[in-house]
Amino acid sequence: MPEPAGPSGAPRRNPRPALLTSILGDTLDPGYAEAAARRGMSGPPPARRHLAGWGYLVLGVLAVGLVLGIAARATAQSAPSAERTRAALLGDVHGAQQRIDSLEARASVLDDQVRSAQAKLGATGPLATVSALERAGAMLPVQGPGLRVVVDMADDGSDSGVVLDADLQLLVNGLWASGAEAVSVGGVRLRGTSTIRQAGGAILVDNTPVFWPLTIDAIGDPSALHVSFVSTEGFGRFAAFASLYDIRFDVTARTHLTEPAAPGPDLRFATALTSGG
Amino acid sequence: MYAAIALVAGIVVGLFLHPTVPDWIAPYLPIAVIAALDAVFGGLRARLDRIFDAKVFVVSFVANVLVAALIVFLGDQLGVGSQLSTAVVVVLGIRIFGNVAAIRRHIFKA
Repeated sequence: MPEPAGPSGAPRRNPRPALLTSILGDTLDPGYAEAAARRGMSGPPPARRHLAGWGYLVLGVLAVGLVLGIAARATAQSAPSAERTRAALLGDVHGAQQRIDSLEARASVLDDQVRSAQAKLGATGPLATVSALERAGAMLPVQGPGLRVVVDMADDGSDSGVVLDADLQLLVNGLWASGAEAVSVGGVRLRGTSTIRQAGGAILVDNTPVFWPLTIDAIGDPSALHVSFVSTEGFGRFAAFASLYDIRFDVTARTHLTEPAAPGPDLRFATALTSGG
Repeated sequence: MYAAIALVAGIVVGLFLHPTVPDWIAPYLPIAVIAALDAVFGGLRARLDRIFDAKVFVVSFVANVLVAALIVFLGDQLGVGSQLSTAVVVVLGIRIFGNVAAIRRHIFKA
């Protein structure tokens, strides 16, 4: 391919590829020019051909219009159907959420009925054992005096001000070790199998996301709890964090704290022994 | 003049007659629309260039729609249908743009 000469006569360094040139330059169908050239050679068209030309034109333009109209119609029809699908899916989600809510409400109503029936039967014997075990298993809401610990990450958004799940585990273990009788993290009551994990930037307590600033409530004798909590490793670590990285770490004694019940254990494989235990 | 009336008539018929579009045609409809627009603007420009020819107009429109549909159909069979329809839209879009620019130069002399 010979290099086209630039305006100054020097060969151009980067000749345009022929394909791009033809796409960008020949926007008009070459057929028109050829037809015009043929007409120019054979003189003006006779009247009969002229009429046929009009027929072609009207039919062709009618076809073009039909295509445009049908396409507009089809697009207008399919857009609402996509919207309908979306709305239907949203409705399904809302319905499922409402069902969850109503089932949870029903479960707590039934729970209350069970408890009142138990109370009617009297507070001695096996039922006393049941409620004691329920309390020990964190299955009943509790209240009492205790410590409230508020933890928040540093505001500056730097990596050094981030509180990790391992830190919180240490802190909560410190509270248990200091004699706390019931602990909740971010409003989620801890039970025997509770976990504190991290998923990305979020902290999950028993797979429930909790939000910063994190409130940790521990029920127990406030002064005794405080004294032994101060000497735990978790407290020392957070005190150091607070002074080094400027995170928030407040410990206050409260005379009245309430904690919700933890969800019951999901026993899928374990079954109770039938005789005696 | 008649051409404009026919165009409007076609659009109105398409809009209000509710022709049902078979499912197998639906993927080719956008391509057909682009080809139709290309034909319309190409014809308009040829008219302004005083080289318009009705037969060329109709034949090029029909052939472009068929070829574009064939390319997309082949692409669908090979698994690159959406890419090929993008290619068709780009090429025809550039032509439409160039023709509209030529029409603009004719009308506004700028």
